[in-house]
Amino acid sequence: MALFTRTTKNLIIKIEEFFDNVEIGILVFREGIKSYLINNREDFVRHLQKVDALESNADKLQREIENDMITNSILPQHREEVTKLIDQLDEIIDSVKSSLNDFNIELPEIPSALNNDILDLTEVSSNAAEELIPAARAYFRAPYTVREKLLKVYYFETETDKISKGIKKQIFQQMPELDLAHKAHLRYILHHIENISDIAQKAADLLSAMAIKVIT
Amino acid sequence: MILLFLTSGLFLGWSLGANDASNAFGSAVGSKMVSFRTAAIIASIAVILGAVMQGSGTSQTLGKLGSVNAIGGSFTLALASAVTVYLMTKLSIPVSTTQAIVGAIIGWNLFTGNRTDAATLSTIVISWISGPVLGALFAIPLFIFITAVKKRSGIHLIRFESYIRTGLIITGAFAAYSLGANNIANVMGVFLPAFNLQELNLGIISLNSSQQLFLLGGIAIATGIITYSKKVMQTVGASIVELSPEAAMVVVLAQSLVLFVFSSSSLSSFLKGAGLPSIPLVPISSSQVIIGCVLGIGIYRGVRNINFRLLGQIGAGWIATPVITCILTYLSLFFFKNMFNIDVGHRITEGAVSPGAAQTVTDPVISDLMRYLLLGILAAGFFVILYYYILERNKRKELQRSEIKFWKNIK
Repeated sequence: MALFTRTTKNLIIKIEEFFDNVEIGILVFREGIKSYLINNREDFVRHLQKVDALESNADKLQREIENDMITNSILPQHREEVTKLIDQLDEIIDSVKSSLNDFNIELPEIPSALNNDILDLTEVSSNAAEELIPAARAYFRAPYTVREKLLKVYYFETETDKISKGIKKQIFQQMPELDLAHKAHLRYILHHIENISDIAQKAADLLSAMAIKVIT
Repeated sequence: MILLFLTSGLFLGWSLGANDASNAFGSAVGSKMVSFRTAAIIASIAVILGAVMQGSGTSQTLGKLGSVNAIGGSFTLALASAVTVYLMTKLSIPVSTTQAIVGAIIGWNLFTGNRTDAATLSTIVISWISGPVLGALFAIPLFIFITAVKKRSGIHLIRFESYIRTGLIITGAFAAYSLGANNIANVMGVFLPAFNLQELNLGIISLNSSQQLFLLGGIAIATGIITYSKKVMQTVGASIVELSPEAAMVVVLAQSLVLFVFSSSSLSSFLKGAGLPSIPLVPISSSQVIIGCVLGIGIYRGVRNINFRLLGQIGAGWIATPVITCILTYLSLFFFKNMFNIDVGHRITEGAVSPGAAQTVTDPVISDLMRYLLLGILAAGFFVILYYYILERNKRKELQRSEIKFWKNIK
């Protein structure tokens, strides 16, 4: 019996730690983009290193959570969905890391006229991912509240799409001074930022279905 | 020869283990909360304890229905019941050993010209109906209570499932204990009048003649659980209605409470002492009770969830079992009596001494043989459990080692 309690306690701690990792990863991403836009290279690199460490720890935790659940036959009826959810949350932090890495390697030239819009886009896309974490935590403690918490994820995802569309329009229709390669590169960078909210929405769909299954 | 006759009882015990005993852990295994191996080991130990410690009450009721007065008759009855239960199990139909043995006793009564005690028969048949109904009545409020606790407490899902798993193991063990106490009469009840073994001293406890037979029967049930109950467990646990872990625990708890109520002599005399109607000590079918419990939860959750086709098949099995066993017993008694010239029993005349009493085995060699057999089996069981424990521990260590190696290589 003591063995069950210890395994359960450790697993709960690992899941909570995993969520913390993803949550902090999103915060650092937001700060990283800000640093890049204001040309603070030193801060940007520091944030990139932080995200690297968080992503690597999240990977380790993900594997440990899956192992613990399988070997101790924990949540047998919901195991598949829980591991899928963890996997999708891990995809968020993966995407955060790869975005910052792309910024670091490709050093995109962002026209200063777009700075505020890109900051907005980063803010809203990060918000969508951030709002997913309390909903994921609620799945384990109060599944009845998950769906209402997810409403914000859907809202921020739609907002992200709107802002992204506006920026793209601005790049391709109102900035004739930029060449096509530059425009394509900016679109690619925008797509990276946007992608975070898209993954969050996918995870929200899964979480929503999981909550119904647990309740009924 | 006398021990050879016991083999049919052991075969029936094996069938009971393969079929009815799986009900104790069927829901737990069906919902994948407890592994089959863990369930089989715990159920085996509990069923043996229940049989030895509390098995005598229900044996007396079966004795009233028809007192089989020749060991050849006991052998045939147990064999016919075992064959029926085995065939039903082979078809994956949860079947009742109680119904099989009652059908067999009626078959013996018909063959030997003895009267079937209508009052006892009706008590038993009524318990077959009241058992599942009581199961449903216990299951519904328990299920409402547990789901309310889950909803209001805000407990972490993983922690809640951990409690449920512990609950499933405890209630499963209780259910297996109650099953041993309630159903051992089906397996060994017909042999009790034929044996008078010397007391067996195991150091901490000493077992009288009937307890030794119950222990042997309990071991046969345990063998049935370990070797053949997996398939029926999956039918009970997963096919009738999809069970959540908490529903699985409620089903097992309600079932074991019903079985306990129908086999506890102390509860029965307590009610009698309080001026209330006493509960008959009747071997009831755990399969029927568990179906009642599952059905109760199914009704509470909405009738859409219930697999009525499968329930129909199970219901048909309930009617077919006593009828088939009765006919099979009648034919077997005829066959054994006329082909092998074995005494299968006589008509009992009122006030006359039963000729079966003259056949009681008191040979000390048989007692010694039984002692070595039981001690040998118990020791073997202990070593098998130890072996599996070590195997499991090594598997975990191996996994840990491979995990450490994996992260080392990544770095």
